[in-house]
Amino acid sequence: MQSMEVISVNIWQILISLCNLLLLFLILKKFLFSPVKKMLQKRQNEIDGQYSEAAEAKQEADSNKAFWEEKLGNAETQAQEILSSAAAKADVRAQQIVSEAEGRADGIVRQAKAAAELEKKKAEAEIKKEIIDVSAVLTEKMLGREISDDDHKKLFASFLEGIGGSDDSN
Amino acid sequence: MKIKSVKFLAVDILLMILAVAPMLFGIALKILTNPASGGIEIAGARIYFTLKLPIQDLPITESQINSWLVIFSVFWLCIYFTHGISEKPQTKRQLIAEWIIETTEKLVKGNMGEYFSGFAPFVAAILAISAFSSLLTLIGLYPPTSDINIVAGWAILVFILITYYKMKCGPVHYLKSFGDPVPFLAPLNVISEVATPVSMAFRHYGNILSGTVISVLIAAALQGLSNMVLGWLPGVLGEIPFLQIGIPAVLSIYFDVFSGCLQAFIFAMLTMLYISSGFPAEDYKKRKNKKIKSEVN
Repeated sequence: MQSMEVISVNIWQILISLCNLLLLFLILKKFLFSPVKKMLQKRQNEIDGQYSEAAEAKQEADSNKAFWEEKLGNAETQAQEILSSAAAKADVRAQQIVSEAEGRADGIVRQAKAAAELEKKKAEAEIKKEIIDVSAVLTEKMLGREISDDDHKKLFASFLEGIGGSDDSN
Repeated sequence: MKIKSVKFLAVDILLMILAVAPMLFGIALKILTNPASGGIEIAGARIYFTLKLPIQDLPITESQINSWLVIFSVFWLCIYFTHGISEKPQTKRQLIAEWIIETTEKLVKGNMGEYFSGFAPFVAAILAISAFSSLLTLIGLYPPTSDINIVAGWAILVFILITYYKMKCGPVHYLKSFGDPVPFLAPLNVISEVATPVSMAFRHYGNILSGTVISVLIAAALQGLSNMVLGWLPGVLGEIPFLQIGIPAVLSIYFDVFSGCLQAFIFAMLTMLYISSGFPAEDYKKRKNKKIKSEVN
């Protein structure tokens, strides 16, 4: 079989080789570069989408956070208000209760004092009567006779005068 | 990772077979048509048949056939790489495909700028066809890159591209550029313009061919040396060229693998540099702005 010379130029072979390179270029472009680049583009899009989704979610979370923080702050001030108003109310009420109690106590004391006075007076009157009775018995015994009512009264009056007590009411 | 369906695997295997088949075909063709030859032989590509064409007859040679085989292989490899491609990588080969594309695009953008980013597939094609053609020697086939016609075709295509981009500002601007920096240097500029594709073609072709020639010469020399030094061994032992073991393999790593890949890379680099440096970007921008302005007016 024949061989080419080591160096031999052939126009048609050159042309064929040129076309071969063009052909390989087209093959690589069509079957390797474009599918891979399409896929890379898709992947890029997917990644971008995920990033934007994440950013959106973050934004939403941030706004939610701000909202809830505001709410929390409001709630704190509200609680403070409620507490202070409750405290004020309680103060007023306590004041009321104390003053009422004081009034009542005063009344009770006054009543008690009045009752004591009455008792005292009663007791005094009784004691007077007792004394009169006893003194009547004693004088009777001492005199050896019965004393009449008149005597009795006289005697008693003088006696009382001697003690300096107040008027009897019988 | 998902367990791939039987159909997917079947298509995979089919694609791999299709990618390897051209190489096997080439080897078979070589074995069938190549008569066993002894001794040193440095010749061009084997001619299978000749087509009668005007101007010059077209001999269909090994280099033609082999470059078509390379194209077939690369085509099926592309299909294989992009088979089952998805946004979430499920196959290792998808990562390889992405790596190839990202690397070539980075290379092209780095060397040629953003304007030429569409050149990535072209540069990848140059790298692929040149490297694979040179690497065909590894399986014993004739490397098309050691045929001047093949490489000249690529160089001429690159030259056409260079000239096309130089003419982007119009033919007048292109012709004026020859009178740069002083008009009487124009002949030299014309020569340097023509020298570009010639030097590219000869550099690539010469490197690969010289590698083959040196390999053959050294193999022959080693055989002679082996006969001389170990010829006293009795019987068959004396005829075995022991010195041919090992040394040609090391040389093959340099001349076939390293030199082949390096020349492919150099060819691609030169393509990128010539095209991007030949393109008068500044003038083109001015011209474009002027056009836009005149259209507005």
